[in-house]
Amino acid sequence: MSVRPAIVVAHLDVHFGASHVVRDVSFHVREGESYGIVGESGSGKSTVLRVLAGLNQAWSGRIEISGAEQPKRRDKAFHRAVQMVFQDPYGSLHPKKTVDDTLAEPLTIHGIGGAEARIARALSDVGLPSSFRFRYPSQLSGGQRQRVAIARALVLEPSVLLLDEPTSALDVSIQAEVLNLLQALRAERRLTYILVSHNLAVVAHMCERLMVMQHGQAVEEMQAATLTARTPATEYARQLLVASEGFKRGVG
Amino acid sequence: MSDADPLLDIANLRVAFHTPTGVVHAVRGLSFTLGRERLGIVGESGSGKSMTGRAILDLIPYPGVVTADRMNYRGQDLLTMDRTARRKLRGRRMSMVLQDPKFSLNPVATVGNQIAEAYRVHQKASRSEARERSLAMLEAVQIREPARVYDLYPHEVSGGMGQRVMIAMMLIAEPDILIADEPTSALDVTVQLQVLKILDDLVTSRGMGLIFISHDLHLVRSFCDRVIVMYGGKAMETMPAAELADPASMSRRHPYTLGLLDCLPELERPKAQLATLTRDPEWLR
Repeated sequence: MSVRPAIVVAHLDVHFGASHVVRDVSFHVREGESYGIVGESGSGKSTVLRVLAGLNQAWSGRIEISGAEQPKRRDKAFHRAVQMVFQDPYGSLHPKKTVDDTLAEPLTIHGIGGAEARIARALSDVGLPSSFRFRYPSQLSGGQRQRVAIARALVLEPSVLLLDEPTSALDVSIQAEVLNLLQALRAERRLTYILVSHNLAVVAHMCERLMVMQHGQAVEEMQAATLTARTPATEYARQLLVASEGFKRGVG
Repeated sequence: MSDADPLLDIANLRVAFHTPTGVVHAVRGLSFTLGRERLGIVGESGSGKSMTGRAILDLIPYPGVVTADRMNYRGQDLLTMDRTARRKLRGRRMSMVLQDPKFSLNPVATVGNQIAEAYRVHQKASRSEARERSLAMLEAVQIREPARVYDLYPHEVSGGMGQRVMIAMMLIAEPDILIADEPTSALDVTVQLQVLKILDDLVTSRGMGLIFISHDLHLVRSFCDRVIVMYGGKAMETMPAAELADPASMSRRHPYTLGLLDCLPELERPKAQLATLTRDPEWLR
């Protein structure tokens, strides 16, 4: 038997007022696996992630993390095990808190001691020098900020990281550094990832399996190899692949 | 004037910002010419690519200072031209499409009226004439129901539609030069291609010169005729876009260009680890 699923999502539905933004989405992610969700804006991919993180309570369906069914309102143990990294490091870090404050806060919330050592370790894990501890976000570049955001997620030593477009606000060279870091951390700590992105190449690079979403529905689930071989089953997934190749004169 | 003459001829363009903490050089000695072609300018944030576009249009804000050895538009010297004359060129002869229609359109005017206004600023035309021209322009950017869309406010249109409205507004005065600053970065990939197609058709059919500013090397190499790669305010190299797609020419490429290409994850060639870019201070000498 294969490893047990770390995350199970079954028949997830989300409504925002009258609009039905996630429609009957089901998937599971194995322990230590990296799972991608791709789609265009408005496809519901980020909403799925926010529901998983407990940031949205207006959903129906079933969510299990490590075998335990999750209530709408999550407990502390959940947040210790599941952490999220957001898209824009310019928006997700408090501008008036130092890196040290940012990293210490989750530890205080969870009543975890030994903050000194944990913060130092989290910083070195993401490849930032310890001299960065007392800097403000405004004194950091975009890539450094995203490293701080990853360090904040790692400081609680979670088993699952939810990544919402973690590199789309960054330059390509910085994107490469952050993606390499995420790959290395996953191998080192056997982390489980769910990566949401509109960039097929990034998802194919990072994930073993992925799901394509459109208009709130799961269109197709496939292996990353299916993507690189360009042999998806559905028309929409093929269309996304063609669009990712860049501009072609004289067609369309 | 023949078609072979360049629309723009720029030599040693510099943009510097004089701040209390010192001078920041955004563009340092950029030279290029633009014909009736699609010229791509690629670079990462801070490379000076947007400032180059703004300098051409005389849109560098205080405390920025633009200097150049030569800056000619169809034989007219832009450097000695006064502000009023520059302003007349802007919009009429050269215009600019910006990245995000959400922030670039006036939120309290209908999109149709904004296009019509752009027309009436540059052409003597009655209201009804301007309205007719605007409707025709909306049709030219492939908006299906121009009459309905004309009366919509920017928040009522999608991102792709908003970007087409911007293109309509910029092209209605029939400029010679269009500067597109990341025109499709805020759009979904499928919409992105539709917008590029419209831009491409209009630029080709009207014989305009297009400066396409982007961070996306792949997009630029598939869309443009020529590419300038910028880093730290300088051109690292200029080359035909086709060469960027040709693996045989890679040995001749600048290390920065190669670095940019290498650090991208690619569907065709899965890599265990992505290359990271090492920057050589020598490049900026």
